[in-house]
Amino acid sequence: MQNIGIEQISLAVGFILLLIGIWGMLSQKNILKIIVSFTIFETGLNVILVVIGYIRNKTAPILDTTELQTNTAEKIVDPIPQALVLTSIVIGLGVTALLLVYALKMHKEKKSLLINDYKDTKW
Amino acid sequence: MDPLIKQILFALLTIFIVLNYGLIVQGIVRKIGARVGRRYGIPFYQPYIDIIKNYSKRTRISHGIMYYIAPVFRLTGGIGLLLFIPVIFGNNMFQNFSFSGDLLLILYFQFFGVLGMALGAAESGHPNSAIGVSRGLSQVTAYELPLTLGVLSLAVQYNTLNVSEIVAAQQGGILNWSFFTNPLASIALLLAFLAAMGRSPFDVVLAPQEIPIGPPTEFHSGFLGVLQLNRAIFPIAKLILFMNLLFGGATNWGELIIKTFFIYMWSVFVGVAFPRFRVDQSVRWYLGVPLIIGVAAVVVSKFF
Amino acid sequence: MVDPIYIVAVLLGISFSLGFIGKKSENIAGILSLLALGFTTLVSAQWFYNFVTADIETYHIFTTAFKPPFSINLMMGKEEALFTMMINAIGLFGGLYMFDRLKAAGKNSFIALLMLIMGLNVVVMTRDLFNLFVFLEISSIAVAGLIVLTQNTKSISAGFKFMIATGIISGLLLLGIAFIYNYAGSLNIDHILTQNLEAAKGLSIAIFFLMIAIVLEMKPFPANGWGLDVYSSAESGVSSLLSSAYATATVFVLMKLLPFAPENLQFLIAAIGIITFVFSNLMGMRQDNPNRMLGYSSISQIGLLAAVIGISSVIGEYTYFIVISILISHFLAKSGLFWIAGIVKQESIKNWSVLRSNKLLLVLFGVFIFALTGLPPFPGFFGKWELVMHLAETKNFIWIFAVLIGSFFEVVYMFRWLGYAVKNDIIIETKLKAKIHQIIPLLLFAAAAFGAGYYVSSEHPYASLINYLPLAVALGFAFIEFLPVFIKNTLAIAAMAAYFYFNYESYNELQVIFAAIFIIGGILTLIAGYAYKGKRQGFYPFALMMFAGLIGLVEATTTLEFFFAWELMTIGSYFLILRGKKSIKHALSYILFSIGGAYLILAGFGLAAIGKPDISIGILSNIELYAPWIFGLLAIGFMTKTASIGLHIWLPGAHAEAEADVSPMVSAILLKAGVFGLIMLFLAMGEQFIGNISFAYILSWVGVITALMGNMMAAFQEDAKRLLAYSSIGALGYVLFGLSLMSHLGWLTAISFSVTHFMFKALLFLAIGGVVWRLKTKDMYKMGGLIKKMPFSFISVLIGIIVLAGVPPLTGFAGKWLFFQAVVEKQWFLQGAVLFFSGIIAFLYCFRLIHSIFLGQPKDEHRNVKEAPFWILVPQYAILMVIMLFSMLPNSLLKPIGDMLMPYFPDGAITWDGQMATTALGYWNGKTVMFIVVGVFAIVFGWLVFMNRNAKKVKQFNIGYAAERPFLPETTHYAFNFFAPYKKAIGFLVAPGITNFWHRVDEGAHSVSDKFTKIYNGNAQSYLIHIVAFILVIYLISFGGF
Repeated sequence: MQNIGIEQISLAVGFILLLIGIWGMLSQKNILKIIVSFTIFETGLNVILVVIGYIRNKTAPILDTTELQTNTAEKIVDPIPQALVLTSIVIGLGVTALLLVYALKMHKEKKSLLINDYKDTKW
Repeated sequence: MDPLIKQILFALLTIFIVLNYGLIVQGIVRKIGARVGRRYGIPFYQPYIDIIKNYSKRTRISHGIMYYIAPVFRLTGGIGLLLFIPVIFGNNMFQNFSFSGDLLLILYFQFFGVLGMALGAAESGHPNSAIGVSRGLSQVTAYELPLTLGVLSLAVQYNTLNVSEIVAAQQGGILNWSFFTNPLASIALLLAFLAAMGRSPFDVVLAPQEIPIGPPTEFHSGFLGVLQLNRAIFPIAKLILFMNLLFGGATNWGELIIKTFFIYMWSVFVGVAFPRFRVDQSVRWYLGVPLIIGVAAVVVSKFF
Repeated sequence: MVDPIYIVAVLLGISFSLGFIGKKSENIAGILSLLALGFTTLVSAQWFYNFVTADIETYHIFTTAFKPPFSINLMMGKEEALFTMMINAIGLFGGLYMFDRLKAAGKNSFIALLMLIMGLNVVVMTRDLFNLFVFLEISSIAVAGLIVLTQNTKSISAGFKFMIATGIISGLLLLGIAFIYNYAGSLNIDHILTQNLEAAKGLSIAIFFLMIAIVLEMKPFPANGWGLDVYSSAESGVSSLLSSAYATATVFVLMKLLPFAPENLQFLIAAIGIITFVFSNLMGMRQDNPNRMLGYSSISQIGLLAAVIGISSVIGEYTYFIVISILISHFLAKSGLFWIAGIVKQESIKNWSVLRSNKLLLVLFGVFIFALTGLPPFPGFFGKWELVMHLAETKNFIWIFAVLIGSFFEVVYMFRWLGYAVKNDIIIETKLKAKIHQIIPLLLFAAAAFGAGYYVSSEHPYASLINYLPLAVALGFAFIEFLPVFIKNTLAIAAMAAYFYFNYESYNELQVIFAAIFIIGGILTLIAGYAYKGKRQGFYPFALMMFAGLIGLVEATTTLEFFFAWELMTIGSYFLILRGKKSIKHALSYILFSIGGAYLILAGFGLAAIGKPDISIGILSNIELYAPWIFGLLAIGFMTKTASIGLHIWLPGAHAEAEADVSPMVSAILLKAGVFGLIMLFLAMGEQFIGNISFAYILSWVGVITALMGNMMAAFQEDAKRLLAYSSIGALGYVLFGLSLMSHLGWLTAISFSVTHFMFKALLFLAIGGVVWRLKTKDMYKMGGLIKKMPFSFISVLIGIIVLAGVPPLTGFAGKWLFFQAVVEKQWFLQGAVLFFSGIIAFLYCFRLIHSIFLGQPKDEHRNVKEAPFWILVPQYAILMVIMLFSMLPNSLLKPIGDMLMPYFPDGAITWDGQMATTALGYWNGKTVMFIVVGVFAIVFGWLVFMNRNAKKVKQFNIGYAAERPFLPETTHYAFNFFAPYKKAIGFLVAPGITNFWHRVDEGAHSVSDKFTKIYNGNAQSYLIHIVAFILVIYLISFGGF
């Protein structure tokens, strides 16, 4: 059990979320549920991103104590993935918002939230 | 004397002899036909009477320019054909104008008169004429095939397309004739010959009881007279050609007359024995057995 | 120079500032946006110009005080400059095009446009992976915003599918980027590339995710339904942005990231690309909706580019040239086509006949179609050429096949569409009005297509040798279309005459003969054009383009020049054929056979160039590898033009429906292009063998069967021009046979017969064209007795058929005589007999032609027809005089050709003694034959005139008709189904087996196309399943499991 730490668990959780999201998007017929699945997918992705930056027994890269200001690189986790996650979350927010707007518009057109009802363009 | 003028005089002599021979043979053949059919028949000089009668007719009408010159085309075709064939082997003068071209010229030139006549017949506006032409052309395509194959076979055999050389190669005894040295080609040619002479069973073109007489229906008086002259010359020219190709040619006029007469009889005998084919029948017939024989002739002479 | 960062800054700045503009001032917002885009376009253009002319150094932009890899950096190199220029230009002109739509939708739509373009600019320039992800996301969000510019069920649901799909794809991209960072410890592309990428298995999976995400952005088959739905339902302007801007950027990203991929993944990407190319084009064939069709086409083109990029390690340094030339063509043409589709607003391509109400749009439409299908002089042509050359050089033959078959499918639907636009008879009573802001981008893009073509060719070592003068003259005629026919015709004749006069001395004998057929023949047929009134728009540019192509063939010194000229000729003649009545079907089958043939030629040239230092025509004469293949490909390619049996079905319709003077052009002249090609091929390669059988032997049989079938089918036609068209097929069979004899006599026959065929076929087509001109019908049985109304046309036809039939004494006999000398010499008797047979069948249709039209009973409705127009008669009589000359003096035609052949075939030549020709087998004297025939004729004629001098003329119907008088010419004129008994006897030989075969091929391809499109069922989830399945399959392929 020594080897399994928070990072492995998080990674597994991230991937599970990712797969749940994809499964949801493929199986749910309700557009809103698809969008929810999409956000789950994204959440999983973001978790994975954070895990990548995490290094065991190291602290956040906030250099507020003097102890951290020497040999900094050995004592902190990588800050870049965390910065990326922020951007990714923002983009995810934008995409989700846009998807919801689309869902709204689709509902206005056909009064239905079933994805199967929107097959007008095909072949 | 200028050789050219001499040549022309001999050509005129050839035409004169062939014309008279043709007319007499025509009369005799009709007579034979009548006797086979248990009739008395016409006198052998009847063709002369017919020609004189036609030229003396007073009513003469024309349907237009092509109609007018069609008989000219026809007779030019007949005379030209005769003049391009070397008639008497070994006699320079009776080679006539055969220096103008070889066997291919002869084969193609026979269509000159046929097509010209067809045009005139068509201008007469008579449906029977057009029908006759349609039948004639259809049949020509069919019998030309064994004919060509036979000729090609001979061309391989003698390695030339020069008629005089083909005749020369057959001299020195009956067994040197192509008829014996190349029997397959000869059969193909003689079968094609039947339709070339336009006698029954391949007489759909004129088909007297069906489409009165086909292409010449509207021709009368002097026009018909000119056509009749051709009808005397053209078959004899063809006979001479076949004689040259298959039966060793002729070294004098007597030999020529005997040989051509017997070749003519071949078509006459077949004609009185068999009834008329329909066009599609005759076309199919020629694309059957004669074609196979022709192909065999070519294959044999190419590989053996 | 302006720092490229201002591209980003200005676009961002303007879009933020648009937020402060009041709600009612959309005009200001729009103008500001366009100004911003204009500025960015200029910036990129300036950089590109400097890269090209001054060869300046690549410029790096650093965003912070830290240097990369610790900060994001952008890069502006030559490629970046070009790609951002294209993206900014499509932003600017697309914005201009959609100006009123965007304005109506409010200023936010302008913001979306600016954000899209800005995002794509950064995507191109950035060297940072995460930055790439962010700006791709921004761009796709902007696209999603633009999709709902038109708000209906279709576009909204398409937008939703797009969002969901790109959401998954970008998630994948992010995952890949994250893991790459995990292993490589950097996000900077250049920095990562310096590390050893093969090291970790994990890294290769990360790279796999990165690359597959980029590939998915390019919409690979079959995981591309979401893209197709957007193309077909979004506003045309938006689709054009998606196709030209977004796809262009993804192409660049693929190029940029390709070094990440290990070699097998690169090839996998290439394979995905080529499969996408072939299948998208296959599925495009059954599309009826123009936007969706263009969508398929876009996807296929991008697939092709992915393929080229994927195999760049094989192609080498020319990858860039190929990608750019294909991409530019696609970029300009696809946006142009989408824009035109937006103006036309027809849901079905069948209704595009409405485009005819706006000539300018029609012309632009044609230009874009040609640019898209890779025809000269547009850049795609050179790209495709170079691609095939390199694929051949590296022996990737399957790839050549895929590229060509995919291109061919595209030609099928693009030209069907063009045909509908130019000729479909669905009449829609609306006059298309394009606003000026829509026309300007179209005009500029069309001009840019020509400019880019010229630029690309000037970059190419061999393309730069192409003589553009004839093409320029032809295109020049497009600008004087407003002039009347008389002036244009005179100018055209003068141009051609001058060209011939100044150039003929530089040709060798063979070139002179064909140049004479092409140019002098062309001038003769152009003379007939004086008969036309008005402006005759759309005739001269294409006629001259065809002649430009023909003369280009003669002059070609490299295979590229030859191919260029070949395609040019095809385009010109296609339009000439399309001008005819009911020509849609025939013109389409013409262009399909021609392009199909051209692709075979292209492949043949490609194989021929393997291992050769250059591509001069001369390489054909010393080929070591694949010689039978090269020979076969080229021969079949040329035979599509000579309409040999099996490849002939396009000809009858195409030639028969054409105009009076176009029929002789395409029938008497154009077909000789194929003959010229074959001659060139035979001369260079000599006899080739498949196993023990000589190609020449096979071709001899193809030739005689073509002759037989062509002539036989001609005999059964009711339509006069169709009859002549079939007769041309037959005649070209003769030529093919003559060439296949590979002997002096055979070639002498073939070449002299080509000349003779030109004369009699031009004569006949002109004469019949004149008759049709007056009678307005082509059915022979509806005519009759016209000899009295049209004596001059009659004489032409009479002489024409005598020459055709080969009856002595006219010059046609020379051909027959030579043929049989050659046949006997070669001992190909069976072929010879079939040929003779078909020659006799020619009598059938010759007689039918002249009888049914000129002889027999005239019809009541033709009592008042006049002789054919004077100007149509003029060339006929010019030709007649030449025919008479050649008949009298056969050696004036045959001797020069014989001399020309001496170096190639020294044995078995004809000996000439005056006009006396002698071969080893026989002899023939054209002059004495003529004298004898004329002499006898004159004497007999004199005799007949003397006897019948008082013959009187009678009226119609004065015939002996079983004691009755017929009254109706219709029932008396025996003309319909003239050879009925013959048909009964051997008509089964001409049952339309080959036509049926090609129809079945056509139907088969379309039903396969139909089956495949069924996978795009319109359901967003199905599309997601496609994507997921696609990833899985590709993963399994690249990491084992399959």
